[in-house]
Amino acid sequence: MSQDINTKKLKKNAFRVTKVRGKTASRIRIPGGYLPASLLSELQDIAQTYGNGSLHITSRQGFEIPGIDFADMPTVNEKLQPLIETLEINQTAPGTGYPAAGTRNVTACIGNRVCPYGCYDTVGFASRIEKAIFPNDLHFKVALTGCPNDCAKVRMHDFGIIGMTLPHFDENRCVSCKACEKYCRRKSVQAISMVNERPVRNEEKCIGCGECVINCPMRAWTRGEGSKKRYRLTLFGRTGKRNPRLGEDFIKWADEESIIKIILNTYDYVAEYIDRDAPEGKEHIGYIVDRTGFEEYKKWALKDVELPSEAIVYSPLYWHGPKYM
Amino acid sequence: MGYRMDQAGINRVFNGLAKEYRLFAPKCFEYEGAFSDTDSIHYGEVQTIEEIELMKKSNHSFKDALLPISETLFYFTEDEVKVADAPAKGALLFLRSCDLHALKRLDAIYLQNGEKDFYYKRLRDKIKIVLIGCEQAFESCFCVDMNTNRSENYDLSLDTIDGEYYLNCQFREWDMLLKENALEETIVMPKHVTETVTKVHVPDNLTAAVAASTMWDEYDARCIACGRCNFSCPTCTCYTMQDIFYTDNGKVGERRRVQASCMVDGFTDVAGGGSYRKKHGQRMRFKTLHKMLDFKQRFGYQMCVGCGRCDDVCPEYISFSNIVNRLDSATQEVSKNE
Amino acid sequence: MNNEYIPFSSEILEVIKHTDIEYTFRLAYKGEVRPGQFFEVSLPKYGEAPISVSGIGEECVDLTIRRVGKVTNEIFEHYVGDKLRLRGPYGNGFDIEQYKGKELVVVAGGTGLSPVRGVVDYFASHPDEVESMTLIAGFKTVKDILFLEDLARWRQSIEIILTVDCGEADAVCQVGLVTEHLPKLKNRNIQNAAAIVVGPPPMMRFTCLGLLELGYLESNIWVSQERKMCCGIGKCGHCKINDVYVCVDGPVFNYTRAKHLID
Repeated sequence: MSQDINTKKLKKNAFRVTKVRGKTASRIRIPGGYLPASLLSELQDIAQTYGNGSLHITSRQGFEIPGIDFADMPTVNEKLQPLIETLEINQTAPGTGYPAAGTRNVTACIGNRVCPYGCYDTVGFASRIEKAIFPNDLHFKVALTGCPNDCAKVRMHDFGIIGMTLPHFDENRCVSCKACEKYCRRKSVQAISMVNERPVRNEEKCIGCGECVINCPMRAWTRGEGSKKRYRLTLFGRTGKRNPRLGEDFIKWADEESIIKIILNTYDYVAEYIDRDAPEGKEHIGYIVDRTGFEEYKKWALKDVELPSEAIVYSPLYWHGPKYM
Repeated sequence: MGYRMDQAGINRVFNGLAKEYRLFAPKCFEYEGAFSDTDSIHYGEVQTIEEIELMKKSNHSFKDALLPISETLFYFTEDEVKVADAPAKGALLFLRSCDLHALKRLDAIYLQNGEKDFYYKRLRDKIKIVLIGCEQAFESCFCVDMNTNRSENYDLSLDTIDGEYYLNCQFREWDMLLKENALEETIVMPKHVTETVTKVHVPDNLTAAVAASTMWDEYDARCIACGRCNFSCPTCTCYTMQDIFYTDNGKVGERRRVQASCMVDGFTDVAGGGSYRKKHGQRMRFKTLHKMLDFKQRFGYQMCVGCGRCDDVCPEYISFSNIVNRLDSATQEVSKNE
Repeated sequence: MNNEYIPFSSEILEVIKHTDIEYTFRLAYKGEVRPGQFFEVSLPKYGEAPISVSGIGEECVDLTIRRVGKVTNEIFEHYVGDKLRLRGPYGNGFDIEQYKGKELVVVAGGTGLSPVRGVVDYFASHPDEVESMTLIAGFKTVKDILFLEDLARWRQSIEIILTVDCGEADAVCQVGLVTEHLPKLKNRNIQNAAAIVVGPPPMMRFTCLGLLELGYLESNIWVSQERKMCCGIGKCGHCKINDVYVCVDGPVFNYTRAKHLID
């Protein structure tokens, strides 16, 4: 019996059309790429029972289980329920699998749960963004990285969130050992110079990597923001056919709340300006901004956003990268 | 005299003592650790018992209260010098037995080795000691082997049992204050550690000849010369003098001293470019022998008190206690080569 | 209580220029002081530097200063009538009594001549108080020679071997390292031969070894050490070697002790 499958619908349910006729693949989103190890046995079960026994770790920190019969999609969705619940994925109805596929998995490096350089809990922030933006069919890519090393390559995403440390200096605890100056010079951007035996931070130059804090033996340098974290937000990096490009700095020393608000505002902006004829309703945001001009985007993005006093907003932004069309 | 006290009682006592003393105790400074979302435990001023971190070991010691990390000695103008004021109040230091033994080492250098130090003495003369009873050694502690696990020369002792506080007072003037705020008078003996997990053995035949051992070479690469071991050490006493001028008025300024580390670059630099112990392994040898040999030769007892802070704070996981325990085989190695 | 850290002001009475980077500052000072001791010399804003005493007068001390750092650079901007800040004198210094009646040789390299200048000067003025007295003074080149006038004066009462590392030999100056001249020492009774050695660390090491080879007793050799010193009073720790603090136990050490010191 020939199969009648609504491919548009299955794509919105996180399955895909594969090159093997009759077989689909289930795409499992893991926000921040972090999951309890116990869930792996659930994935193993689905792959071995309904798929071809293999798993692919996707480039966006999800899993793809290939070789599933279209007919098994409802059962697989039911089997995915423990994962969806444990990972706290927003869902329309229980047992129906992942509800959308336009906005991509929010990816993150391991962040400060493990990495000494991490300036914040990347996975925690990724989950909060996940909560705020899913489900959504618009084509958004968000990635988070713990520090300016940018191991997560967030500049290749629409929204790149780079952890920053706002260093605070207590001169009463400084012994002039020059560790901060040395590490900033050798591993970062040389934003610290010694004046009168004490380090002076060039605020303009400082990228908030936290090397001074990490390497201070005295706790003279500390993370002045405490529990209130600071970030660099980069915009509209992308890969793709026409004009791949790196994201440009939009805000330095942004806060978490503002970033979530800006992303949500951008959904409104895209809904307003997206090319109605875009293939599959997908259009990289950057192309839309090229059409409307950056000022229009900025107006939408910063609507009702209250940035911290130290935040610096860069404007206008210019993107580069090769243009093939 | 001993007392049992509840939280409200001990805080009233603190309140009373605060009239004459600033209370310095190990304290948790939230989010001030080297890594994000980590805390730092070091000494700071407290008002209440709740502020004192009694369960964890501080990374820096009480010495910061007597030898401030950065201490202004005097201010100068073109022609005049004005000695920096000392705090009007004395200081009440909360510390464990190992640290109280460390105080004796600080005194040895600052009160006995050459002229008495004016700035140390004026703070030292006005301190009182609260011994924090210490029953269970931390993982890196080796106080028992260094013979610093017990102390009697305290003014007040403090033990916590089931949410209540037990204090033994040896400074008669405070007895009235304590009695007024106690639940009852009772016999109190501060707890002390009797066994440690980490153990050290300093060879009896240790001499400076061990400097020739190859064991130090390993640390040329492993040690990053950050100085954390020294800065955290309650017995390290070195400092460096600095003159600075105020940038808003270049004619006035101050001379201050800051804590120094024999592991950090520049410690031995003489004018004109000479320096000693360029290799980090040699600095490690210098530090180790100071703690376990040189000081004893000069003062009759070991410098190291076995608090284990240097092991706790080393970012490269170099264990000082392990170095000490390697001295035996290093001594044998050196004697074979002779 | 006495605050050892507070410096006193001292007027510059005279500046004697030896080379482009070495001047002697004659400073007003009343009080006990020995050759080989040192003062912490400072200029507020620039810091302190330990400088050894190169001469002692009735109401003055000489400090021969080499311009090699932040503090000394600034000191060189000061002239007669200006004031420097001092504290000290610190350290043990040389004990003249120990050398009386000896066949004494002083071996000095470069600015190492400063701390021993007082000793040489004393015995050059009182040659009858030693059995014999020789000064071997080495410098890099002829241009670097310090205390030229003193050398000429001393030459009248004691034996002087002046040598430079490189250059041409002439009537007053020879060529070669100080160690090369040690065999010229003619001691009548080696048991009674004493030596003072001051200079850069390698020069001191090889000179001491050379003297021992000649038969000098270890206990008859003295050296003076130079180390970084922030306090001068046994506190700052920078000058510690083994169980010794150079600032209070030294800078002058008998060789029997100095030979065990490992930096």
